[in-house]
Amino acid sequence: MSALVGYTGRVFLAGLHDFLTACKLLVDTAFWIVVAPLRGKGLRFRAATEQFVSVGYDSLPIVMLISLLLGAILAMQSAYQLESFGVGYLVPDLVAVAAMRELAPLMTAILITGRSGSAFTAEIGTMKVSEEIDALEVMGLNPIKYLVVPKFIGTTLAVPLVTAVATFTMIIGGFLLSALYLGQDATIYLERSADSVTAKDFATGFVKSVFFAIVICLVGVYRGFEVEGGAEGVGKKTTSSVVTSIFLVIVVDVIFTYMFFSEG
Amino acid sequence: MAYSAENLIEVSDLVVKYGDRAVLDGVTLNVRRGETIVILGGSGSGKSTLLRTLVGLMRPSAGCIMFDGMDFTQMSHEDQLELRKKMGVSFQSSALFGSMTVAENVSMPLYEHTKLEKSTIDIMVKIKLELVGLSGFEDYMPAELSGGMKKRAGLARAMAMDPEVIFYDEPSAGLDPIVGAGLDALILKLKQTFELTSIVVTHELASVELIADRVCMLDGGTVVGFGTLDEVKASPHSYVRQFFERRPNEEGEDEAAYLRTLTGGNA
Repeated sequence: MSALVGYTGRVFLAGLHDFLTACKLLVDTAFWIVVAPLRGKGLRFRAATEQFVSVGYDSLPIVMLISLLLGAILAMQSAYQLESFGVGYLVPDLVAVAAMRELAPLMTAILITGRSGSAFTAEIGTMKVSEEIDALEVMGLNPIKYLVVPKFIGTTLAVPLVTAVATFTMIIGGFLLSALYLGQDATIYLERSADSVTAKDFATGFVKSVFFAIVICLVGVYRGFEVEGGAEGVGKKTTSSVVTSIFLVIVVDVIFTYMFFSEG
Repeated sequence: MAYSAENLIEVSDLVVKYGDRAVLDGVTLNVRRGETIVILGGSGSGKSTLLRTLVGLMRPSAGCIMFDGMDFTQMSHEDQLELRKKMGVSFQSSALFGSMTVAENVSMPLYEHTKLEKSTIDIMVKIKLELVGLSGFEDYMPAELSGGMKKRAGLARAMAMDPEVIFYDEPSAGLDPIVGAGLDALILKLKQTFELTSIVVTHELASVELIADRVCMLDGGTVVGFGTLDEVKASPHSYVRQFFERRPNEEGEDEAAYLRTLTGGNA
């Protein structure tokens, strides 16, 4: 029993330590994005743009493909249920609202965690192992400014935009399935889709995607700085980065879904 | 230790800890302007930690490091950054940025710390690369270079800001004797050409004889010998004697240590 309490305590303290250190990283990053440029220390626009392209633009093909398929799946599953109640015409409403509020932001976040969050950890971890982070510091260059800020800006801009594309593609996926397979009227489907979503649905998806982006970037970078040892350390932390990031994305998802749900 | 203008760096009673374990325990030494100090010691003696502390990558828990009369450990972060521009560090793994070419690596500190025109920086990069014998390799990626060339490129980057003092972490580790000797010659050349103060961490006895003005020998985080190579070699200290005579640890000692590791240090 005491072993269990001890174990729980240790896990809790380790988690608390991770959380506090990650908060400090977030504050440092915010400093280098907001305060430092005002003091004439510059911002690395080119590097941020490169990250934006790599996180956002480069992920579009796979995000769109998966969204299209998920949209079709969603349409089939909702048709299966709704038609048994004789309200099959509600499929577009359900697909559009579910995609915008939940599925598109979550799916995008999980995909980008796998593509970019893991890459952040591997990149920074490898740099740490090969003393490149030390080299930056002894040259008087701040690793947060150099490595974290461009990733942070790139990710927080890219994820909401990719989420918007994913939402749209998901609706199209549902539309194609309904029009081609369920034989629903195309015009009515699109009209219903457009009418069913409200500004609040959009806000839910957007706010979620911004916070998902922050989680993905912070966790990826944080785990990267934690790397110790050699190639094995990079591998371990990369795995841990993806697991932690997906877990926290879902925790954040629950919190925001609850907030937007409870407000009616 | 009283401050003397002759000394560029003065370290007194430096203590550095990993957790509760003191890796450096009261290290005191001075580095005169323009001399080459070699920090010698076995694995785990604390020599790499000393170097990392001197360049500001680790914080000491006690003691002070005076750099040109200013206390490096007490100054503000901004001042530390200024001071770091006067230091160059050549890393053991050369630590070149893998995503940048050799020229971009060398020019990086110049772009970040100076307002020079690109054309001027290009010329400076060429000069630095020529200095280390790497002319013509501007557009190579670090992965395309051999071990010795990487070290040289790292050195060119360390020299980019024309530092007053340069730190070398194991410059010839992992290199064949000929390439290693080439690096020793380069260290000597840089010292003579620029009157550079150099601090070299190594355990290669052959290069120590060639480059060292003075030697600081560490064991278990304390200085066990400090002076010219001949003075240190003449020391009666048992570890120093063992090191220079290349004698292995006694069997008995090893067994006791082995037993301690098996029992978690309680034997």
